[in-house]
Amino acid sequence: MLENLLRARKLQADEPPLRVEDYRQRALATGVPELDTLLAGGFPRGELSEIHGPASSGRTGVLLALLARTTAAGALAALVDPLDRLDPASAAAAGVDLERLLWLRGPRVSGEEPQARTLAEATKAVATLVGAGLFDVVALDLAGAGREPQRLPFATWQRLERLVEHTKSGLVLLAESHVACSPGGRVLALEPAGLRFSGPPGPACLLQSLAARARAGGHRLREAELTLAAV
Amino acid sequence: MFGGLHSPRALPEAGALVAVARAFTPRVEARAPTPVLLDLTGLGRLYATPHELGRALIAAAAARQVDAQAALAFTREAALVIARACPGLTVVPAGGEAAALAPLPLALMDLEPEQQELFARWGLRTIGELASLPPAALAARLGLAAARLVHRARGEDAGVLVATPLPERFETTLELDWPVSGLEPLAFLLSRLLEPLTGALAARGAKAASLAYELGLADATIHARTLRPAMPSGDARTWRTLVLLDLEARRPKDEIVRITLRAEPAPARAAQFSLLDPALPSPEKLAETLARLDAWTAAGRSGSPRLVDTHRPGAFAVASFAPGPLPRGRRDASPRGPRVALRAYRPPRLAQVIVRAGVPGFVSAPGVRGTVTAAAGPWRASGDWWDRAYSREEWDVALVPGGAFRVFLDRLRGQWFVEGELD
Repeated sequence: MLENLLRARKLQADEPPLRVEDYRQRALATGVPELDTLLAGGFPRGELSEIHGPASSGRTGVLLALLARTTAAGALAALVDPLDRLDPASAAAAGVDLERLLWLRGPRVSGEEPQARTLAEATKAVATLVGAGLFDVVALDLAGAGREPQRLPFATWQRLERLVEHTKSGLVLLAESHVACSPGGRVLALEPAGLRFSGPPGPACLLQSLAARARAGGHRLREAELTLAAV
Repeated sequence: MFGGLHSPRALPEAGALVAVARAFTPRVEARAPTPVLLDLTGLGRLYATPHELGRALIAAAAARQVDAQAALAFTREAALVIARACPGLTVVPAGGEAAALAPLPLALMDLEPEQQELFARWGLRTIGELASLPPAALAARLGLAAARLVHRARGEDAGVLVATPLPERFETTLELDWPVSGLEPLAFLLSRLLEPLTGALAARGAKAASLAYELGLADATIHARTLRPAMPSGDARTWRTLVLLDLEARRPKDEIVRITLRAEPAPARAAQFSLLDPALPSPEKLAETLARLDAWTAAGRSGSPRLVDTHRPGAFAVASFAPGPLPRGRRDASPRGPRVALRAYRPPRLAQVIVRAGVPGFVSAPGVRGTVTAAAGPWRASGDWWDRAYSREEWDVALVPGGAFRVFLDRLRGQWFVEGELD
């Protein structure tokens, strides 16, 4: 009886009543000042955003920074990883609270490009996660999938845009080149700008950092230099 | 009057003696599997003498293959201790408890090891010797607990009998007059069964940690599954959704003629929420979401990644996703800045590597090919020689036309692999 009464008045302990803040006003910051300035505060909630760039342009490092910032604040994040590329040690080193990260791993793919069915399943899983409204960040990692993401029906991305609208979640795609972005979302384009080693090749040589150029919305006027430290 | 039942031999099953006792009275206090204390108040109307009642107790135990010894006394302490000490049946007359206990060894009183050692040093061997000590003087030396021991040794009770509750089963079955085939009518029937079941759990301050459902099918087979979400739930609607989602993924082969639901109770969750942290999702909602991702969860491909305590490269575990409250101090953790991450290839890709002057000069593997422009290494690692040994030489290389990769030489197999892309 008491539980019914509490539920009816929305005072049930499972969902505390002190959460009336409008989350949508707060963008999802990456915690990297250069990027957050470039993105006008971070990736917006309720929108489909995108991080794209070629291999070794720091895409994964930026995504992990976003996941680290989100989970460190106590929120939940989900990563749909159809190609099973996440390295949990790198995620932990970037500061991701692994307990708050839901990781959906794709099946093992022997070739370089995943099957279209795997990507379709992944987008379905993203739709479920976004619809649940439990996660502040839902990320779909399509980097390394070649041209397959572009071959998915355009309606797939429209459907995801609709689903994420009016939710507290920010949906972020990680890809090699532009795939999709909602009108209010952000596109972060990354280009590799070289690797830095500690010295000449030899037994004491270490990879120190990876430099990248970041552009928001493909606009050359809004550009930033980014340095990712090696673990 | 109280009764003590004890079996000096191993019991055929753990609850056998308690079951014998429950056949006589519901007020039974089980001290582990044996001995068992019975409140026999009121049984005088059924049994003319205490001896007759005692013999009935022993006979009932023998019928269950339990070789029991019984003691009937007017105090609980006397009944329990004498039942453990004396074979057969012992009936202690009112007021004769101290005398009956006096010759018995002190070890029967379940003393603490320190107390046993101390009383042995004092030369106390029997319960009677302990009973003869003045309680006030003993309390002055050893504290109030020691004074209580003297009272126990005299066969006097302290406290009350704490009846062991009956083990409860949260199970319900519905036999259907007409077979059901679709999920929609089943949803209605499940609600009818789940609401009283979760209500019974809630009345005992519990939730269901797991729910086993058995569907009797028209072809006389049984479709049985057990659902175990990350957190216990007491919400009938959630359990109904979980069962329906499970049935959607694994359809029964035939029409359903009987439904049995069995819940495993767990104490209701008590969580302290924080005013500053984001709210955690309700376990019910989380369980529903994970159930909807059945294609990923059923194959064990979803969860929360965990690091494992090993130096083996690339080792990790995947645990079930059940986030708890944010630990203290983590809230203010300052960001570490972006880091280079490894995009792992699972399994690592077999590679052809041309080595020039001890340094990789050219790498060729599926999806990775180019001349090495810069390399850092080698980092040697080996271990697990007692199990699945590994020994490797690791390099971080930058390639033309682009990209940085981690390659390693498996020194045990003499083969190169690309472990992943540095991004």
